[in-house]
Formats: sequence, structure tokens, C-alpha cells
Amino acid sequence: MFLNSQKALLKSDGTRLDDRLPSHVRPAFLKTGAVSVAAGSAYAEFGSTKVIVSVYGPRESKKAQAFSDIGRLNCDVKFTSFATPLRGKAGQDVSDKEFSVLLHKALEDAVDLHSFPKTTVDVFALVLQSGGGDLPAIITCASLALADAGIVMHDIVAAISLSCVGKDLLLDPTYKEESQQDGSVFIALMTSRREITQVTFTGEWSSTKASEALELCCDACVKLGEVMRVCLKEDAAEATEDT
Amino acid sequence: MDFISPEGLRLDGRRPFELRQLHAEIGVLDNADGSATFEMGNTKVIAVVYGPREVQNRSQQQLDHALVRCEYSMATFSTGDRRRRGKGDRRGTELSLVIRQTMEAAILTNLLPRSQIDIFVQVLQADGGTRACCINAAALALADAGIPMRDLVASCSAGYLNSTPLLDLNYLEDSGGGPDLTVALFSKLDKVTLLQMDAKVPLDVFEKVMNLASEGAKAVTQFLREILMENTKKLAFAKEPLKV
Amino acid sequence: MVVGLGLSSAEKSYIAGGIAVDLRGDGRGRHHFRDFSIDTSIIPQANGSARLRLGGTDVIASVKAELCAPPPGRPHHGKLEINVECSPTAAPEFEGRGGEELSMDLSRALQRSFLGGASGAGAAIDLASLVVLEGKLCWMLYFDGLVLSSDGNLLDALSIAMKAALSNCGLPKVEITSGTNPEDDADFELNEEEFTPVDTSRFPVIVTLTKVGKHYIVDATAEEESQMTAAVSVAVNKKGSICGLTKRGGTGLDPSVLLDMISVAKRVSQTLITSIDAEISAAESRHDDQ
Repeated sequence: MFLNSQKALLKSDGTRLDDRLPSHVRPAFLKTGAVSVAAGSAYAEFGSTKVIVSVYGPRESKKAQAFSDIGRLNCDVKFTSFATPLRGKAGQDVSDKEFSVLLHKALEDAVDLHSFPKTTVDVFALVLQSGGGDLPAIITCASLALADAGIVMHDIVAAISLSCVGKDLLLDPTYKEESQQDGSVFIALMTSRREITQVTFTGEWSSTKASEALELCCDACVKLGEVMRVCLKEDAAEATEDT
Repeated sequence: MDFISPEGLRLDGRRPFELRQLHAEIGVLDNADGSATFEMGNTKVIAVVYGPREVQNRSQQQLDHALVRCEYSMATFSTGDRRRRGKGDRRGTELSLVIRQTMEAAILTNLLPRSQIDIFVQVLQADGGTRACCINAAALALADAGIPMRDLVASCSAGYLNSTPLLDLNYLEDSGGGPDLTVALFSKLDKVTLLQMDAKVPLDVFEKVMNLASEGAKAVTQFLREILMENTKKLAFAKEPLKV
Repeated sequence: MVVGLGLSSAEKSYIAGGIAVDLRGDGRGRHHFRDFSIDTSIIPQANGSARLRLGGTDVIASVKAELCAPPPGRPHHGKLEINVECSPTAAPEFEGRGGEELSMDLSRALQRSFLGGASGAGAAIDLASLVVLEGKLCWMLYFDGLVLSSDGNLLDALSIAMKAALSNCGLPKVEITSGTNPEDDADFELNEEEFTPVDTSRFPVIVTLTKVGKHYIVDATAEEESQMTAAVSVAVNKKGSICGLTKRGGTGLDPSVLLDMISVAKRVSQTLITSIDAEISAAESRHDDQ
């Protein structure tokens, strides 16, 4: 019974259930300026995963926090109660707090904290629908939002995850593929510098498989970075046209 | 349930007036200013003292005496059934307060104004008498940290089951439904610094149990003194070889 | 605690300079582990327990086994749960909720390395061996770690302690008395006299590589950790496969650097696993003698 459902992830012609090749990512829809009150915001859809991120700041740090001569980045991730098939916290297997910490770690090195000393930049992410690859979607969307807010960054961060099912490496897995994976890789990459800010591996990996997976992920992130840049340029052009 | 067999032996083979096996070690963690482990039978506790040091929260600073803080935590694996305890649970808070008050009475806080002494007690294994064990461990840890104290504090628990006063209850006897009394004494000054009991007993029973517990505490004091002497001898020897 | 007071710039350059010439503060090379000692069966109430001392780092791990229903969708697998707590005895900052973030961090990293994928493949223990009655009854192993004192490299220490605790663990024999039909609930009896050990051959060990400047060191002390730019913790098992990887620290790493760190970790882990196994058997025989 177990093996049947595993085989069900790949069809007889080698394509996945949503007709993608194993090394293809889901088509992404990216848009900035989704929240007008925020300094910057972005909305991203990766397949059925929908995320919206808003950035406020640089603004005054809370009085309780000690003086800091570099800026502070504060990240907060929340899932809506209808985001997962099972309503509320019971449906999530990773908590909000963990995602907030991971988001912070992924963006920390990319943001130039010296450009906004003594102040705080707040990044608020909301997952509207969880369809697999939630954390990469959050990080990618947050980078866009930070760029939209005009926060000085060293580079754009794109993130992707990869599932290993048996011998196959499936890039950008859906929720169904994630729940049956034998192992996973998650990478957040600074696209132009080609530096990894966050990486996790789960499951068993041989060295060759691990380096193959890393290659795949890095290339996918670089390509995603290009798509993000195109999106930013287009939205910026639209904004200048309107004014 | 028979807590005392017809021959007069308890569930673990002890006599009613017998303490469990005591074992203690001083200076177990290098990071802290003072540390000690104390075992009473199967109950194992480690106590650690950080201080005297600068007060972390300026508003709490006292100009004429030291601030004593204490936290009591139980490890997840310490009890028979594994239970994840939140940090704010009521029993933990109560015990933290009790231990703090007991040790504060013993420490000469007026000799260390504007400073803070932190006592952290971690229960590794709980088998009854945790309160007493924690106080004993804390007393040793404070001595190891070199903090001036009025007197050595020693503590012991006692109960009353099957019409017999029993010294140093273990977990099974503690859950037997009888009274559970814990007393902490200043040995030389012969003063009671902590007395807690949670049951309804007639006065004569109370006196019997209280006296038994005090005797137990005096015996524990003897043990603590021996441990401290041994430790001091070791330190003295390490400093200067014995002149033969 | 030195690290609490901060390091002077002379001390910092001493640490970085030493690492650059393969001679660290305590005389070790970059890829040398500190000597460690293991004591088993220190918590008799648990199914298995161990205490590990690695330099100034002191951790206790315990394994408790409980019977429960198998995970949904995987009737032939058992369950594992891993949790770490930082005791305030390790540092005054861990009082109250102060140690929560570090505890969560350590717990997550260990879960990532030991639980394997969502399908249960690649887990530290063969989950199928934990099944008692397929579909109805399986063992749930709770791994609990307690950090008593910290002098760096907590993750490695916890993984070694957990492996030792698991080697020390014995699962009571379960006798099914009724309920072998698919619709009935199972009735069972625990035989507390006979114990079966758990197979620990697949259990990985975590090697943390700390990058200071251009070089990576193994088993960093708290001082060295305060100077790190990035740290990568790789879980490697006896076969040499990677069972999990976690990156700490915000600085970016080149993918080639990451792959290099993985190969260093693999190399170091092979000698480490042999010395761990030797220490564990020595500890067990010491305990049996008592």
C-alpha cells in the first residue's frame, strides 16, 4: 500500500502529477505593491502556495530594545487559519515562530543593516494558502517586498526546496510530494553573488546526490532571481508612468 | 496498602527512622561560581550558584543587601511518566519561592550590597523529598561559591502512615495519602527556617513527625559537614602539599 | 563566563590567528575533537540514559519508550520525538524563558537530522523495527536532552549523548493478549523482565564545522564560536551518507565551500564514530561491573 502511493507521484512518462518535469519549478506569479499602506509589499503565487509580505520601515525601534548602531530586522510569519487543509494550528507541522526565525536568518546577510542604523525594519509575512514549498515562497516574496520598500540590500535572495522520492529529485515540490518525501533540501541563495545564506538537508543523502541537488537548487534560484528582477523593473516602470 | 510490613520494614526495606542513602559532590560544573549535586536515595538534584554579581535589572537593585533569586526546574525525564513542564507551572513557582526564602535567611546578604546571587536548582530525578534535596544541594553550592552564610542549612522530610512516623519519604510513600512535612534547620543556631506540611493531623501526631524530621535534618547536617570538610581538605592539599 | 564579558581584540586575533596556522588555543588542530567521557544508565527511571562531558560542555540525554498508535498513513512505522531543554544551570541567561530560543534551535536541528524525510526514510532508527502490532501498536521513543553546562558545540554533544542513551535503552517485551483482528483494539502485557536492545548502527553523529576567517574548525569552544562567521552542522552515519544538514550564522557561503565542508565533516565523522562506539561500550561495561 505504501509503495503504490509513492509511485503515484510520477506518471509513467516520467512527469509529475501536475505535468511538470522533475527539474521544473512551478510557474510563479509575482507582484509588488500589493499593500498600499506599507513601505513595500509583494504578493507571490507558486502553484497553489500563496503568500503576501509587507515591509514597514525603517522606523523607530521599540523603546524597550537597547541602542544598536546598526539597523534591526524583525521578521514575523503567520499562517491564516484557512491556509492548511486542516484548520488552524493543528494543520501546520512547523510553527510560526520557527518560520520567523528561518526567514530572519535567510535575509540577515542580504540586507545592509548599516544603511538604517538605530531603526527597525519590520517584515510581516502571511501565508494565505499552503501548497508546498511555503518557506521558499515566503523568503522570495520577502526579498521582493524589501526591494519594493527601497531597503538597501547587498543582493536579492531567492529560495527553493527540493524533494527526494526514491531515486528521483523533484524540484519545487507540491504539498502532496512533500508529505511523501524521503528527504529534502532547502536553499536560500543570494542570486548575483551566488552565496548560500540558509541551507538544510533532511533524510539520507550520498555526497554525489547532495552535490547534484545543490547544483539543481542553485541554478533554479539564479533563474528565479532573474524573474524577480524583471518583475521589479516592470512594476517600477509602471509606478513611474502613473506619477 | 501496607506501607510497613509486619516485621517493621518499609516498601524499600528501610526501618521507619532510617534515612535513604545520601550522596553529594561539590564543584561539578566549572562554568558556575558554585555547584553541587545531592542525592537522597533515587532523588537527584543539581544546584548551581552564579554570584555575587552585578544586578541585571537596575530597578531591583537593593542598596543595603544582596538580591537573592532562585529558579527550580524539573527535567522532562525526572518523573516516572515523562511530562513536558511549561516554565511557569505553579508547583515550580512555589518551590522557587520556598527555596529562595530559605536560602535568603541563611545568606548574610548585608555583606554584599548592590549585588545579585542566582541559585538554579535542576531536578534530574524525582523520587520524593525533592524539596529537602534541593535545599541541601543549594546549601552546598552556596558554600562552594564562597558566599558567607549564617549557618549551614539542612533539610529533611517526614510523614505518618500506618500509625507510624516515617523519615524521608519516597515517591510511593508520599502519594500514600498521609501528611508530608518538610523542615529546614539552622544546625548550630538550632532554629527552624522552613516548615511546610500539607495535611490535617492532630497536634500530637504533628509533634512526633516534626521531631522526627528535625532529627533527620540534624543527621543530614552531619553529612553536609563531612562533605564540606573533605572538599576543603582536597582544596588545601591542592594548594600546598601536606608537610609530612 | 568569559564569553559573557566579551573578548578583547587581542584575544579575538589570537583565536583567528591560531586557527589559521592549525594550532588552536588548547593545542588542538583544526580537525581534532576534544576528549569526551560517557556515563550510561544515570537515570534509572528512563529506558535509557547517558551523560556526556565534552570539555566544559555537559549534557544529559534520556530515552523513554511508550506504546501508542502508529503515525497516520504509515502503519508499519514507529515514532520518534526529540526535545532539548537548556537548564538555567548552564548560564544565568537561560532563566525562565531565556533559554527557549536556543532550546528550540537545538531541538529543530536534531529533529532534522534524526527524523528523516516525511515518509520515514533515512531516520536514525529503522522505524519498522519499532512496530509491535502493525497498524495498531508501535513504540514511541521520546528523546530528551538537557544541557547542564555549555562550552560550545552543543549539537554534537547532544547527538553523541542521544546515541549513548539509545545504546543503553532496552524496550520491554510486549505480549499481545488479544485483539489481532483488524477491527479490535489490541490488549497487551508488558514483560518488564525481558528487554530487547535497539539497533543503533544507523544512528548518525552530528559534526559541526565552524568557519572562522577562511578555515573551518571542528568542535569549537564557546570562545571560538563567538568568532564564527558561519557554522554548518552535518549529520553523518556509519555508511558515510549525510542524514541532515543545518546552517547557522547569517554570512553567505559559496556552494563549493559548502560541499567542501560536507566532505571534511564526513572524513572527521568516520574516526569520531569509532571512538564514540568504543566509549559507549566502555561505559556499558563499567556499569555492568558495578
